[in-house]
Amino acid sequence: MVLGTYKEALSARSTDKQIQKISQDGGIVTALLSFALDEKIIDGAVVAGPGKDMWKPVPQVAMTSDEVLAAAGTKYTLSPNVWTLKEAARQYGLEKIGTVSIPCQTMGIRKMQSYPFGVRFVADKIALILGIYCMENFPFESLRTFISEKMGVSPELVEKMDIGKGKFWVYTADETLSIPLKETHGYEQNGCNICLDYVAELADLSTGSVGSPEGWSTVLTRTDNGDSLFKQAVEAGIIETKPMADVKPGLGLLEKLSKEKKEKNQKTIDNRIAMGLPVPYKASTEKEDPLANY
Amino acid sequence: MSETKVISPTSRQEGHAELVMEVDDEGIVTKGRYLSITPVRGLEKIVTGKAPETAPVICQRICGVCPIPHTLASVEAMDDSLGIEPPKAGKQLRELTLMAHHVNSHAIHQFLIAPDIVPEDLMVTAINSVSEIRKNAQYVVDMVAGEGIHPSDVRIGGMASNISELARKKLYTRLRALQPKVDEHVELIAGLVLDADFPAGLGVHNQPTIASDNLYGNRDFFDLDRFTEVMPESWYKDPEIGKKACSTIPLYDGVNVEVGPRARAVQFRGFKEKGVVAQHLARALEMKSALSRAIAILDELNTSAPANVGNFDIRGTSKLGIGAIEGPRGMDVHMAQVGENGKTEFYSALVPTTWNIPTMGPATEGFHHEYGPHVIRAYDPCLSCATHVIVIDDDDRNILKDDMVRL
Repeated sequence: MVLGTYKEALSARSTDKQIQKISQDGGIVTALLSFALDEKIIDGAVVAGPGKDMWKPVPQVAMTSDEVLAAAGTKYTLSPNVWTLKEAARQYGLEKIGTVSIPCQTMGIRKMQSYPFGVRFVADKIALILGIYCMENFPFESLRTFISEKMGVSPELVEKMDIGKGKFWVYTADETLSIPLKETHGYEQNGCNICLDYVAELADLSTGSVGSPEGWSTVLTRTDNGDSLFKQAVEAGIIETKPMADVKPGLGLLEKLSKEKKEKNQKTIDNRIAMGLPVPYKASTEKEDPLANY
Repeated sequence: MSETKVISPTSRQEGHAELVMEVDDEGIVTKGRYLSITPVRGLEKIVTGKAPETAPVICQRICGVCPIPHTLASVEAMDDSLGIEPPKAGKQLRELTLMAHHVNSHAIHQFLIAPDIVPEDLMVTAINSVSEIRKNAQYVVDMVAGEGIHPSDVRIGGMASNISELARKKLYTRLRALQPKVDEHVELIAGLVLDADFPAGLGVHNQPTIASDNLYGNRDFFDLDRFTEVMPESWYKDPEIGKKACSTIPLYDGVNVEVGPRARAVQFRGFKEKGVVAQHLARALEMKSALSRAIAILDELNTSAPANVGNFDIRGTSKLGIGAIEGPRGMDVHMAQVGENGKTEFYSALVPTTWNIPTMGPATEGFHHEYGPHVIRAYDPCLSCATHVIVIDDDDRNILKDDMVRL
């Protein structure tokens, strides 16, 4: 269960040239949210939109595919999208809300749906959760610090950020810089060190670059909702797919990274529990499957 | 030989109260007294010494049935004390919230009096009608004020945010569609009230009515010099009752008054009737007025305009701010004073039913005591919420204990 429950794993990308140009990898989230909006499967989506500061996203309620497009691309700092779900249901009056979330946010939303305290008539309006893979997340100040101090470039000049091949990459107009991921350790949020979810196990559909070639994403369809949306999008020609078996590096890499995250963080959890600290997870000795996300 | 009939707690109302009636040989009430027995909770004291923003959050907890008027009266009192004039859209959204709440709250009351007026064969129809209306009205409060019960988005200086254009259109369409439903409902309730077996003249009294506004509320109406407050000990004469009563007795121009839908209808809509039937009718008819007003606001609302003044200085000048809001049950006045240190120095809430309490008891006089509860319910009394405890045996489902919690 290293990747959680899923129906199908595929390598996929958006067929839209514009999305391909501006999105992080395969443009799956952008393509699916736009498609869901156009097909009225959702009537709005909470996305990580551009904010006042470069690279500091602000949750935004997108009501058109243009607005979804404006929010394309990965931002390596947290966008508190869950915060805005209530506003989407209330002030925006949306009945079927879609959102994109990292694993911890996905867990939060699912918990909210199970125990709707303070979210009366909000939790039941969340119609689609697109999860993205996440190893760790940097507070904005961390990101700013290691980009400007360790990589020696002002964040304002950065056009794209990426994580891959064990390095953190930034692209400016005329150069490509990288530092080993080891150098970014210690800058992540503290909570990331006890997180057992790499692939948004509770989302309707999860996606991320790992496992697929450049410009493509690995998609895990999980729920009936997520699966049917994905199939419709493929049928409509919005998304093209390849079997995972045909691509390199393949699902094995995704499984390996997920396992590594779980094993490393379970150790931290065990250590914290041994020290008597409160941790919202079980110790490995208390679990049947040490890789399970609880 | 006179006898005393005591109903404690009175039922099908919010909170707990006691009705003490002295009756003659025929069972006719010769002296009626109604008193709150819900213990004082001291919310006004809790907010004293805290930041002004605390008051609306805490004071809306005065009630779970009509939290909207309390929130609005609280923010209006704070606005007044701090010298803030909310922008137009903020005021419109506040008014819209209250209009939807009037419709919702009146419908709740019709549910509470259903066993009194609705014949068995119409019970399901009447209750479904109430539910349908409440669902739609609460949807408006949810969207505009953030939460249907204790709204989070009514703020000092206006509202937390304006609604989107999509939401405005949605609400407009939904309320327009609700209009024929409400018309039908009001006709049903009015017909049932007129058909109910209430004796002519039941609940009629000669105390004045007061209302600050047709539907929303107006702080300029409330004249502090005309208002006095006496302790229950000096009002009820009977020392035992005076000691037991938990609310003070507010007087306007030195006399006890009636507030609520009938009072507003008398002051602003040329309504002349008195008594139980008149109160029920005025309440039902007001649902139509409130709904029309809500639709008119949605029609006019500019969703791109700011709904809040934005930043404001919480340091006050110790000015006594007044918020007077026409709650479903009557005029709700909150008074607040914010000092130079940015803390609430004084807070006081005069809630609708507190105004009605001294009038309600005597209104039962002259009729058989069996009609007493009907007179009380016609005021839709809402005493502060109380806690109930029921202990049920796990095995046989017997109720072992059914108590009101007294602290």
